[in-house]
Formats: sequence, C-alpha cells, structure tokens
Amino acid sequence: MAKSLFEEKLNSGKFLITTEVGPPKGVDIEELKHHIDLLKEKVDAINVTDHQSSVMRYPSLGGCLLVKEQGGEPILQMTCRDRNRMALQADLMFAHSRGVNNVLALTGDSIDVGDHPNVKPVFDVESAQLLRLIRTLESGKDAAGNDLKGSPEFCIGASVHPSADFIEPQLIKFEKKVAAGAQFFQTQGIFELASFRRFMQYASQFNVKILAGIIVMASAGMARYMNKSVPGIIVPQEVIDELATAEKGKGLQKGIEIAVRLIRGIKEENLCDGVHIMAVGNEGIVPEIIEAALMEHAQT
Amino acid sequence: MVSSKTDTLRQSSRTKETAFDHSLMPPCQAACPLHMEIREYIDLIAQGKVMEALQVIRDGNPFPSICAYVCTHPCEESCRRVQVDKPLAIRALKRFAVEFGGDRMIDLEADLKYDDKVAIVGSGPAGLGCAYYLRKLGYPVTIFEAYHELGGMLRVGIPQYRLPRQVLDNEIQRLVQIGVEIRTNTRVVSLDLLSDMGYKAIFLTIGAHQSLRMGIEGEDSPGVIDGATFLREVNLGLKPSPGDKIAVVGGGNVAIDAARTAVRLGSKNVSILYRRSAQEIPADPEEIEQAHQEGIEIHYLTTPTIIKRTDGHLNVTCVKMELGEPDTSGRRRPIPIEGSEFSDEFDTVITAIGQAPQIPQAFNLRIGRGSTIQVDPVTLTTTRAGVFAGGDAVTGPSTVTEALATGRKAAFRIHDYLQHKYPKDDQDKDEVISGELLSKTAESIKTRSRQDPEVVSPKTRSKDFRPIEKVYNWGIAVAEARRCLRCGMGAEILFQDKCASCLTCLRVCPYGVPFLDETGTIQIPADQCQACGICVTECPAGAIVLRKPYDRSHISDALAHAFRQATETKTSPLIIGFCCQYGLYGTGLLSGFWRQAKAGVQIVPVLCVAKVEGQHLLRAFEMGAKGVFVAGCGEMCARDKTSFWVNQQIEKVRKVLDQLGMGSERLQFFDPSVMEEDPTAALDQFTEQIGGLYLDSLLKQEVKS
Amino acid sequence: MIIVEQKPVDEIQRMIAPYERVLILGCGTCVTVCNAGGEREVSFLHDALLLAEVESKEISHTFVEHTVKRQCDEEFLDLIAEEANDVDAILSLACGIGAQSIAERFPEMVVLPGVNTSFMGMAKQWGVWDERCTACGDCRLDDTAGICPITRCTKGILNGPCAGTKNGKCEVSPEMDCAWILIYQRLERLGQLDKMRRYYPPRNFRPIPRPRRIMASPSIVAVGGSHG
Repeated sequence: MAKSLFEEKLNSGKFLITTEVGPPKGVDIEELKHHIDLLKEKVDAINVTDHQSSVMRYPSLGGCLLVKEQGGEPILQMTCRDRNRMALQADLMFAHSRGVNNVLALTGDSIDVGDHPNVKPVFDVESAQLLRLIRTLESGKDAAGNDLKGSPEFCIGASVHPSADFIEPQLIKFEKKVAAGAQFFQTQGIFELASFRRFMQYASQFNVKILAGIIVMASAGMARYMNKSVPGIIVPQEVIDELATAEKGKGLQKGIEIAVRLIRGIKEENLCDGVHIMAVGNEGIVPEIIEAALMEHAQT
Repeated sequence: MVSSKTDTLRQSSRTKETAFDHSLMPPCQAACPLHMEIREYIDLIAQGKVMEALQVIRDGNPFPSICAYVCTHPCEESCRRVQVDKPLAIRALKRFAVEFGGDRMIDLEADLKYDDKVAIVGSGPAGLGCAYYLRKLGYPVTIFEAYHELGGMLRVGIPQYRLPRQVLDNEIQRLVQIGVEIRTNTRVVSLDLLSDMGYKAIFLTIGAHQSLRMGIEGEDSPGVIDGATFLREVNLGLKPSPGDKIAVVGGGNVAIDAARTAVRLGSKNVSILYRRSAQEIPADPEEIEQAHQEGIEIHYLTTPTIIKRTDGHLNVTCVKMELGEPDTSGRRRPIPIEGSEFSDEFDTVITAIGQAPQIPQAFNLRIGRGSTIQVDPVTLTTTRAGVFAGGDAVTGPSTVTEALATGRKAAFRIHDYLQHKYPKDDQDKDEVISGELLSKTAESIKTRSRQDPEVVSPKTRSKDFRPIEKVYNWGIAVAEARRCLRCGMGAEILFQDKCASCLTCLRVCPYGVPFLDETGTIQIPADQCQACGICVTECPAGAIVLRKPYDRSHISDALAHAFRQATETKTSPLIIGFCCQYGLYGTGLLSGFWRQAKAGVQIVPVLCVAKVEGQHLLRAFEMGAKGVFVAGCGEMCARDKTSFWVNQQIEKVRKVLDQLGMGSERLQFFDPSVMEEDPTAALDQFTEQIGGLYLDSLLKQEVKS
Repeated sequence: MIIVEQKPVDEIQRMIAPYERVLILGCGTCVTVCNAGGEREVSFLHDALLLAEVESKEISHTFVEHTVKRQCDEEFLDLIAEEANDVDAILSLACGIGAQSIAERFPEMVVLPGVNTSFMGMAKQWGVWDERCTACGDCRLDDTAGICPITRCTKGILNGPCAGTKNGKCEVSPEMDCAWILIYQRLERLGQLDKMRRYYPPRNFRPIPRPRRIMASPSIVAVGGSHG
C-alpha cells in the first residue's frame, strides 16, 4: 500500500507536476490559503517551503496542514538548519500523525544568507543523514536506537543540482541520497535542457523519480539577483538576455514563456518524470503555466 | 597637555632601553687602514648633518682633508653595494664633508701630561700622525724634517693637482697649533745624538725616497731621471724642462704622477712603458683613465733595454714582452720576446719602477728585505730600545692612509713603552660583517646609480697644477650617501626568550632576510639585513631591536625634544609631524617642511618613517598634539615597501582614534609617491584643517561652560 | 593556535572605568603570534588608554604593563603575583583561557578581557588569519583529504557539498572557498575519491562531556574535583 497519495502518483507513470508555496512572515495566512486553493487541483502535490533562504516564516508543517485541510497533497520541506535530531524526529512524528506523509529532505540554506544571521546554525545532520533518519524512524527505532511506540511512514524525496558548475561532487551526493532512500528528486532550477539531458542520461540508471525544477523568472533583474544572491541558482546568460528583451512590465510574461517552453521540451523528449514549478512569490500564475504547457503540447 | 604622573609611570613600566651597541663592523671600515667609521659618517651626510659627519671623520683621522684628496679608498673596493650596482663614492663623500663641514669642531686642546720627550724623524703621513696622537696623549713632541717644509711624500711626492698645497699646509698648521715642535731643514744623522738631547723615544719614519734602478745600459745618461727625484723637483718649486717627448718607465702611481706632471710642464708627447699588461698594472684605474684623457699613452708589455744619448736626444731600445708563469707576487712574469726589439727617441726618460728606503748606517738598525727597517709588527720596535719605526721606511712604498694608521699605532705603542705597559696588539677585535650579500638579497635592493664628482676637463686641467676634482653639491652628496646599505647595523632578535617564533619578521621583510634554521629558530643574518626597521616595528613580542642604540631610542628622544620645544613656544594647536630625516635635508622632498611649516608644526625627524611605531603616534597625541602626520620620501626612499608598512601603523592608530571619538582625520600620512600635490601644500591644508577642528572644539567648550 | 582580536579601545575604556589601577597583562604565545596580545600590543594599548585619559581630561587610572610567557599556566602567573597585588584589576590580552586562569590564580582579583577569543587557526600571510579547527573532538581529516569540512564548510556538513556552491565558492560569500569542492579536488589528486562516496552517519557532537577534560591516565586524581 502506498504511503501517500503522491507516492501512488509517483508510481503511476504519469507526467507529474508539483509546485510550491511559501508561508508568510506573520500569522495572516489568507494569501497562503488562497494559493493552495488555486493550485491544489492543478498539481500532483504542493511543497511548503521551510524558512526559504533562511528567512524566518510561518512553519512548513503549518502550511502542510493547511494544504491537507483544503484537500491538497502536501510535501513537507524539511531542512536541517534549525533543528537538531530530536526536534526533527518530533516534527516528523507529528507530521505523520496528521497525515502529512511526503517529506522533501534538505540540508537548508546557511544562516548567513537569511534575515537572522546571528542565530546559532544547527546542521546536526544534513540531507543524506536526514533521509536515513526518516528510514530509521520507519523501522521503529529512533536515532539513538530506542524503540518507538508506533512508527511513521513517509514518501521521501530530496533535491539535486543538475546544472551545478562543478557536477561531480553533486553526483556523489545524489547517489548518497539515492542510497539513503530518496524516492523522488525535485531538482534545483534548470534553465536549459542541454545540461539536464546530460544529467538525466546519468540519473536514469537509478530507480528514482526526477522532477525537473522550473523557476519562473519575473525579470532579467530578478535573474541577475538570484544568480548573485540565491544559493544554488545559476541562470545562464542567454536566459537573462532573453528576459531583458521583454518590454517593461512584461518580464513575468517572458518568464512564463520560458517556463512553458522548458516544460514542453521536457515532456516532448520524455526526459524525466515530471516538473516542479517554483514561481517564487507569483504562485498565482502557476495554473496558467501548466495550462499553457499542456495545451501547446496537446496541439502539436 | 599630558600630566607628568602618567609620563613617569610609563617610563618606569616600560622595558628599559639600554645603550648596548651590537652593530658589526662593516666591510668598508674593516678595509680601511684607519678603521674609520665610514658607515656612521656616510649616514650623517645622508641626514644632512655634515658637521657631525666631519666630527666622526676627525675622530678616526687627524688629517681628513689629506685623505679626502689622495686616499686610495680600499673601502670602496670592499663596499658590498658593488653587488647591487656600484660601490659608494666614499672618498668623494668624505671630501664633501671636509669642504662643507667647517672647522668649528676642531679640538686644538692638548695638555702636556708627561715629561718624556719624543722625537719623530720624518714628517710624512706616518710622522705627522704619530706626532698628532702623541701630543694629544700629552707628550712633548718634536718633528725633525730634512727638507724645508713638512709633509714628506705628501709634499715632495704627490703632485699638487692631486693634493693642493694649501690643504696640506692647513692640516700641518694644526699640529703646530696643538704644540708640536717643528724642526725643518734638520737631517738626523745620529740617533745617539737624539738620545743625548733627552728624547726618551724616537719614531723613525723617513720614507722610501730612493728610486730603484733598472739596471740597463745608459741608465745614468743625462736626460734620464728617476720619478721620485723628478716629482720632488717639481714639487719643491724647481721648474724642470723635460722637453717635448717623454717616456716614463713603470706602472705604479708614481709613474702616472710623473707622466701627468710632465704633461703639465708642457711636454707634448708623453708615453708610459710598462712591462706587464693592463691586467697587472698597479696604478689606480681612475688615475690611468685620467692619464689617458690627458693624452698619455701606455705601451703595455714593453720594457727598455738600452738607452743611448745622441745629439741631445735619448735613443731608447725596447723589447716586447709576453707573460709567463706567475711569480712570487702572484702576477705573471714578463718574458722578453726574442727579436721584438725596436727603438724610439725621447727627450727625457723618467724611471719609476719602485722606491726603497735609504737608512743611514749610523742608525745601527737591522735592515731587512728591500732595504727596509725591521720592526716587531705588534710594537713597531726596532732592534734599538726606544727606537720605533714605521711608514714606507718599514713597509716599502705604501699608501698615505696606511702610513697614517701606522703613525697612530706608533703613538700608542710609544705611549705603552714610556709608561711601561705591556704592549698589546691593537688589532680590532670587533666582529666584522662577513660574506657577501646573498644574490636574492642583492636582487631585492633598489638600484641607485653611483654619482662621481665632476672632474675638470682634460684640456683645461692639463695646463696647470690646479686640483682637478670638483666637490659634490649638497643634493648629489646626500643622494650618494643614501645609497649606503648600512651593513651590520640591522635588526637582531635580542630577546630569544620573548620570541614567539610567530614568523612576522620573516613575512614582513622586504628582502627575505630572516629564515628558519634547521632547529626551527628564526635567524636574522646580520650580513644580509638592510636595517630598514620594519620587523622591529612589527614584531609583536618586542623581541627584535636594531643593533645601534641610537636607532633604538632616537624617535622617542626626538619626540620628547619636539614636545619640549612646543611647550616653550606655547603654540596651539600643536601639530607633530614624523618626517624622514633623509628627506628633510638637502634637496629632499620634504625639505620645504622646515622652511615653510606654519607655526605650531613641530617636526620630529626620524631615520626613515618605517621605524615609526603606532605607540609613537599615540604618544604624540598624548602629549597634546591636535594633529599628527607622517611624511616619508615615497619613491625616493632607499628601502622597500616603506609606505605600505607605515600605512599599517597609521591605520591601526586611526582605528583607535575613531574608537575614542577623536576622529581619524587627525592623523595623516603624506606619501609623496601617491600624492599629486606638493607635500608642503598638503601640510598647509592639514594645518588649516586641524586649526579648524581645534577652533570648533574651543567653541564647543565655551558653549558647555 | 588560538586567534584573538583586540577589543575596541572604547569598550575597554568602559570596562576599566570602575578600577583605578589596572595591570595590562600580555601573553607571549598565541596572542603574540596573532598580533593582538603580545608585548607590543600591550604597550600600544597602554598608550591608547593613556591617550583616552588625556582626551577625557580626567586622569583617573594608572596603568602597569607586563607580558608573561603564557597566561594559561598558573605558574607563570605566580611571577606577577606582586604586581597583581598592587592593582585593582587585570586587563588580560590573552585568550579566554588566560583570562580565566588569572581568575583562578587570583581569587580576589577582577579580571577583564581585553580581547575577543575568535577561533583556532593559522596565518595565511602577514595580517591574515584563517580558522582551521573547531575542536570537535572527533577528527576525520583522514577521510577528507586533510581539509576539515566541520570548520571550513559554513554548515559543517559531511557527505559532500550542498547545492549552494558556485564557482567553487560558498553560498555565503563569493570570497569563501567551498570546503567540499576543495576536498573533492584533493581526494581526486590523492586517488581517494572512494572516501567521498562513503556515507558518513551523523556526528557525535559530544565525544567528551562538556566542559571537556582529558586526563593522562585513570590513576590521576584531579585536584579540586570535577573540572576544577
């Protein structure tokens, strides 16, 4: 029996689409709820980010519960930055008890890039170790080897960086995550297919599902900023140039165009198992992208 | 202003600065027969302190003018600067000091302390030197001179264009002034007679005036004259007419002197015949060059074999030579080439192949090789009690400086003798800098070309006997003096127990001098250190010091002096400027600071701003300075990376000033290498700025009260 | 060695305000080497504090300066016992260990830290010090080609780089090397990439209970009970 609805879909062989929502800074969750409503029917699962870019926010787990309440399928993004093994295990047990059964295990951005640069960074474990920790809990033991009264079950995923400028260490880490039990991977943003094809040629040997990360850019300026300041993002110059051709105020439109083209390309070539769309603050446009990508595909 | 309380406290709590001198003897000093403190006086010239430089020179040499003209400067031959570019022009710098240093510091006091009379026979440099020191020691001294004027070879041997008579007379006059009795026209024929006259000790320094004979046919023909006699006649005012075409035989300085003297007497065609090659010629290269310029030709590997006098001319037959195996002197022996004879005609032939002493038999002394008087090399005593000998009469022809050194030594050995002291060997026991610069050290030293003093053009100078070398002007002298590498006065790790082996010295040295030895101990080899002082300033343990006590304490002393002056003049706001002494003087970049600095600016001269430490800057503020600046020489600095390291200290102190709310703009670094404007203009601007800040603070105080 | 950084003079000024007689005490080891607390800095700080007095127009302190070989051994502190008797406070320019050593040696004495103890590291060149060890108590440098990921990776993670690395640099700063890229490159050079392929379980963060103590042998009885 599948551990979650999403796991079922993973195994169904259909082209998967996931997206993500970022919880607010504060307790006004109306917009978050609105985005969930907007997306829950259009995608196979919704990630809820965990203090993305190390900026303190409403918790990921809270967001996941909202997704659940509103009838969506949540993926709990869980980073190692803020919690030690005890807190991580507790949160995982809690998530399971409330039906949040998909976890994306991440190391987390460093404290220095966020809005609380003076706090104590934890990193008691990192992504590969967190994956194993989850599998340990599933086996009925905690991290210290003590028995659990009732063990959780999760569909677990991880992240990979297919277009990293120094790829070999990333592939080693990818294999460690596969070995640790990752069932699916949502990749870091990809902006061109050439390097992603190379990655997939290699990754297809592993029995895991790969969802290509698609970041929707709102402008050339945003692309440049992300290149400079957001960990793990490398936007190629051609993409920035293309964004720059957009008329003023039409940058997002151009970004959508690029995202749609990428998704179409991936689907046409059957490169991987799905896409993970990251609209970074423009969650509202995700349905439009999905529609455009699938429709155009249908037309051809 | 600072309270005396903090001042005394600080003094007591700081490591005491003691006066030890660990500097090593530089090679120039070691090479000097008089062991003159060359490095010291060169540095004083570089600082523009010419009077003080001359004082140092006088401390080691009673007749500095003489040496300034005629010294053969063995110091320059041993100067390590030759590994970088060219040696320092030490003799020319001494000449500068002598010309510009004045005579105010001459000490003509010499008390009579003893009754024992001393006779000095001969008044060449050895005799003069001995007389001077014995008189200074307190003995009644009489000089006996056969000619009518004092000086020996200085007077009768050296041509006037090399040593003007006025210079010689001035120096000799000082001997009279300190009370040396002079008896000229008095040839000593018996030493017993001197003893009878009551002289308790005798110093024989009668020179080597007897020319050696060539031993060839016709040597005694009229028109053949020996060099010593020829020069003596000219020098004593006779005006011989040697004719138009002259041959001088020999290759020493006397040969060159004779040839150039002949030119000055009007001879049109003067040539020198030397039996070896240009490699072996013993005369000073500079002299040879100047002789060439004056039209004198040197025929190498040529020696006369027969001289015949015919029709008022001398027909000289010569033979060409080739060089064979080295002889006892280490030079290759010349061997005649058979069948290479040729002949030429001359009006006069001057023989200058060497001289020997001529010791009267009546002196009853043991005579050694080359007719010289045999002496104990340590005590200079002859085989007769109370009779000492030195100079050319003992050594054969030598240099003026060697003779002066012997004279000084003789004075002290005679003193030992008269006081019944055990005569000690006064060979200098000071540690001498050894070895050459490592090539990596030499390569990292900035090159600075040597500037020789100007010389009168050959055309003009060969007309008469006026001196041919001009004296430096200030700018060039200071620039030349700044080339000194200051060998042996660099940094040392004095307190090994404090050294934390932090490697700071190794990392900051612009010359890569400090190194880790095989035991892991840091060594700063004295023979490589360039004495820039950066490691001393940067050593976090205070374990490194400069080897000279003056270098260690002078900034603190100069700062205290500036502060006293400021207190006296009561100028406010007070601005203290640490300026490079080398740059402040002469035509230095900062020289305008002395003349044009506005009231309230106190200049603390430092021997290179790299030696200014953060503490000095802080102390200037403590003493009440409202503004402090450091001014270096930029690119003119003879050392490397000075500006970078000064900046480190400046930035460190600026940080503190900001932390104390005093404002970092109160501390400025004037670095001419990066400054666009004239340093004096920058100083004016700074003075104005500090004045403004000061007024503001006064106003604020008034508002408060 | 231990790298420290001198505190700003104004902070020190506030710290010493209540105490009239202050001994500025340097240390001759690590803090001398890192240019922050040796004899020279003691003297520099002395002058800076005197200047501060002059500026405030209120001479309320007297200072004595001294530098001992090593503050973290009490025997060296015995040598300044007399001077310590004459002051109201000791301003230590040694690391936190030295300052505490003074507190333990002189129970009645006020101890003030003149420096911030920053990290354990080395000089890369004159005036540049880099952290190299966090004293985790569980050294794994054999697995990581002699480059410590605990110290040099901002997240201190095992098992390889995070996805934040760009151009071989860390996501925290384009100036900072990514430790894992360095480790990869060195392991590759050493032919030991298999070490990177191994999975490393979560670290034991407490190989020795804190505060940590090491004893040469079990037979030693530490004076003063557990942890002094």
